[in-house]
Amino acid sequence: MVHEFQYRAPRSLSELLALMAEHGTSAKVLAGGTDLLPNIRMGIAKPAFVVDCKRLPDADRLVFSPAEGLRMGHGVTISAVLRDRTIREKFPLLAEAAHELASHQVRNRATVAGNVVNASPCSDMALPLLCLDAVAVLTSTSGERTVSFREFFTGPKATVMKPGEFLAEIRVPASSADRKGRYAKLKRVKGHDLGIVGVMLASSPEGLRVAVSSAAPTPVLVSGIGRGLDAEAVDALVQKAIKPIDDVRCTAEYRRYMVGAYIRRLLPEVSR
Amino acid sequence: MFDQVRPEDLAYVGKDSGRIDATEKLTGEALYVSDMTVPGMLYAAVKRSPHARARIKRIDTSKALALPGVRAVVTGAELDYRLGLYVVDKYILAKGEVRHYGEAVAAVAAETYAQARRAADAIAVEYEPLPPVLHHMEALKPDAPRVHPDLGSYDHIAAVFTPKPGTNIANHTRLRKGDTEKGFAESEWVVEREYSCPSVQHVPMETHVAIAKWARGDQVEIWTSAQSPFTVRNLFCHAFKLPHNNVRVHIPYVGGGFGGKAGIGVEPLAAVLSRAAGGRAVKFQATREEEFSLLPCRSALTYRIKTGVGADGKIRAQEMTMYWDSGAYADYAVNVTRASGYSAAGPYEIPNASIDAYTIYTNKPFGTAYRGFGHVEFHWGLERHMELVAKAIGMDPLEFRRRNALRPGSITLTGERITDHTGDVVKCMDAAAKAIGYGSLTAEEKERERKTGRRIGKGVAALHKAPAMPSFTATAVIIKMNEDGSVTVNLALTDYGQGTYTSIRQIVAERLGFPLEKVKVSFECDTDKDPYDWQTVASKGLLLSGNAAILAAEDLLKNAYEVAAQVLRANVRDLAHDGKRIYLRHNPAESVDFARIAVGYAYPNGNGIGGPIIGVGRYVAQGLSNLDKATGQGNPALDWTYGAHGIVAEVDPETGEYEVLKIASVFDVGKAINPQIVRGQSIGGMVQGLGTAVCEGYIYDEKGILLNPSFTDNKIPTAKDIPAVIESAVVETPQIDGPYGARGVGEHSMISVAAALGNAIQEATGAEIVHMPLRFEDVWRALRDKTPIDNWITKSPLGSCRSAPELRNRKKDG
Repeated sequence: MVHEFQYRAPRSLSELLALMAEHGTSAKVLAGGTDLLPNIRMGIAKPAFVVDCKRLPDADRLVFSPAEGLRMGHGVTISAVLRDRTIREKFPLLAEAAHELASHQVRNRATVAGNVVNASPCSDMALPLLCLDAVAVLTSTSGERTVSFREFFTGPKATVMKPGEFLAEIRVPASSADRKGRYAKLKRVKGHDLGIVGVMLASSPEGLRVAVSSAAPTPVLVSGIGRGLDAEAVDALVQKAIKPIDDVRCTAEYRRYMVGAYIRRLLPEVSR
Repeated sequence: MFDQVRPEDLAYVGKDSGRIDATEKLTGEALYVSDMTVPGMLYAAVKRSPHARARIKRIDTSKALALPGVRAVVTGAELDYRLGLYVVDKYILAKGEVRHYGEAVAAVAAETYAQARRAADAIAVEYEPLPPVLHHMEALKPDAPRVHPDLGSYDHIAAVFTPKPGTNIANHTRLRKGDTEKGFAESEWVVEREYSCPSVQHVPMETHVAIAKWARGDQVEIWTSAQSPFTVRNLFCHAFKLPHNNVRVHIPYVGGGFGGKAGIGVEPLAAVLSRAAGGRAVKFQATREEEFSLLPCRSALTYRIKTGVGADGKIRAQEMTMYWDSGAYADYAVNVTRASGYSAAGPYEIPNASIDAYTIYTNKPFGTAYRGFGHVEFHWGLERHMELVAKAIGMDPLEFRRRNALRPGSITLTGERITDHTGDVVKCMDAAAKAIGYGSLTAEEKERERKTGRRIGKGVAALHKAPAMPSFTATAVIIKMNEDGSVTVNLALTDYGQGTYTSIRQIVAERLGFPLEKVKVSFECDTDKDPYDWQTVASKGLLLSGNAAILAAEDLLKNAYEVAAQVLRANVRDLAHDGKRIYLRHNPAESVDFARIAVGYAYPNGNGIGGPIIGVGRYVAQGLSNLDKATGQGNPALDWTYGAHGIVAEVDPETGEYEVLKIASVFDVGKAINPQIVRGQSIGGMVQGLGTAVCEGYIYDEKGILLNPSFTDNKIPTAKDIPAVIESAVVETPQIDGPYGARGVGEHSMISVAAALGNAIQEATGAEIVHMPLRFEDVWRALRDKTPIDNWITKSPLGSCRSAPELRNRKKDG
């Protein structure tokens, strides 16, 4: 598929937002390109305008302060997350999910923001962001709003973002620092693969959290699970929240089973 | 060609020597067709069918022709050329009817690839979709749609293949040995089971690519990424009715083939576009997605085996029925059927046997050669079956195999008597079993089980394979001496990664008695300049070309000695040589350097004698015969390479997840010319075998659309999937007619990997799996006695992350 588009690489946020406002749904933001470019090549995406966001100042900003928490610019790559010492120490769940995402080459290009904007049900990065109460900062010419990732995903490849809106930053509150957890991802090969099903268990002040990918139209978070529940009880709660399907990768039946299996496997480690 | 040379007297054979192509490949200097451009070259793109089966009502190319840069558009309607190795059944572009999803219906050549792609997309094709026949077992039903209603009128090689007009059967191979009825009557136990495996893709790193230039006077020049330059030329000339000396085929470095580039591929398409574009060269390179459905795959197989075993644990009778899914065209699948048919019982002696092997047309991308040529697929069934039969009669599976193994004096299915020199499969099995500590767990393994809660199992599976090739398969090697006394070796066997050229170099240096550095084996084959070779397939290259190389070396020496005899005024019998000169045996001080006679010797007064020194070696397979069509009796096998794999697998008994902790392979290679190269082939094959065992397979929807046409959902193993421990060993029972006793091992390394894995998983957990691949879910289902998922033609195609863009459109259509 040959698709021609106009390419713009604005140097300022206002310039980018103006382009987005002008072109609406015919514009697509290019970050790492690991989803957009294959989709254009396959004819799934046909944007008239491709707006490269990597030249904006602060694109790669990755800072932590006790006051503001963790702020990740829209251009922060998965590899940058893995390299960052603060993330490894204070938000190990982000690093754990990042480590499971694709391959070295893809991690060097793909961004955290891109991974969530793409809104695949199998998003790796959605799970720690859900477990850590992260929010998305969405900006447009008409202003800025923050949306919790719990409300962010609305369906397969669909989010609350409106035409003209741009995910400028991801923020993880300082209060989420030091949350412990584990991630298990079912794959067909040990190397680069999408999650057939993914389960993250995390501690939080209000109890255990379980985030699940590839088992519903969106990544799913089950929170406020009482401490001391056994794996079967946790699984029962999670099973109610997921809605897996049969596809070429796996049956719904096995997905449900593996969600439970991973809960049984990870729970002792997380409650330790 | 085997001379009893003591290993200590061999300078190069039997020793490691670095690959001759390592530097070029590691630095990126090696040139592939993918890298090449030819002056004035155009780029091609194809329009492909979105339907598995449809009548082509109309093709409108007017929009495409009007686009900038477009120099030629061709459709099937104007190309009345059919191709086929054994059954001539395939047009270059679909004509009248499309027979599989992804089949090419029209093609464009333009100044740039983008222009060609755009123009191909602009071609409008009106189809009348027809109901496809997708599963090969469905295709056998009397009321199934006919993929080739005109099968009866197709040319085919009648001495070897038997198409059944009026059906979807492209070939029926039949074999009868002894009296199965009597054998079953004598049996204590009878076990009957069915095994299957889906189609898979070769996935060469370099996709299929060719540049063709159809110049004035029908002079055609082709540069292609292919395995067999002379077969490309031969089939091309047959299709276009051109004299062979009009067509020249070049093959430079090739980025992998695995059988997928064995015959003819995209060359005719590039050539007809070049002709239509007034003789400008045209390059066509398949995209990765096109590899999956424009180009051929490995056939799916359903294999039924019924075995009768006597009280002594010896097989009395076996009935074997193979159903091969040919896809839309017969290509190599009919010969896979034939070769698998006569090998179907594996390395075991079956006194009373019957085989019926069918090649069945379906509306899917077609099957072709794939490393192992059917043997991976049927050994999956056979070696799982041997395991299950052993368990059914209460015997250790390895012991059951030993008891029934072919040994000197055994008679094969086709009536061939096994000799002391055929090879020793029992040694291979025992060595593979020993390598994995078969039969028990070590203290360390038991401790690991206790810690992880996982179960460790060990499985062994044996194998055999002979080259599948015409009975009179031939090759030639030419060795040319250069001015300085070094030599250059020309042959049209290609080295597309196997390392055969490195081994040939060692053989030539050994036989010439020259230092290795003086021997060059030339990459890039050229049908105008290299001597004939049939095909680079079937693990026959080292044996046939190795023998031809020995003969060429001997011829070169003979020619050099004749000149030296004149120069030294001596009888040829009194001459000897080293790496530098030819000398008198009785007076070594009297000598002449090879360099002085290499291109003609000049006496001090200027008179010349001799001339360029060249050695020619020709070799043809000997003693082979076509098989009797009713009984399958005859002699099809140049040589049998036996082997065995052993696998240690660790399985989670709850979830079915597993890991291969260790894999070991042993092959009776006769003589390892270069042990490193054998190990390279061995490791490569094992990993490729694990890929097909663990996760690979084509999945279609009920309309015949391929749902996993890319790496998104057609996974292959990655570097991370290579088992932590890989062992490779050889048994060396010399092949009397092999070069220094060697026989081929290129395909064998992947043949029984899947079966060994299935056996290990069963040993670990009891999961009884009979369908490939062994996905974690398949193991989980087997552990719970749930119905296996048979999703190769699926009712529930829509994934959470779809990889087939067509699906999106279809969903919109409702």
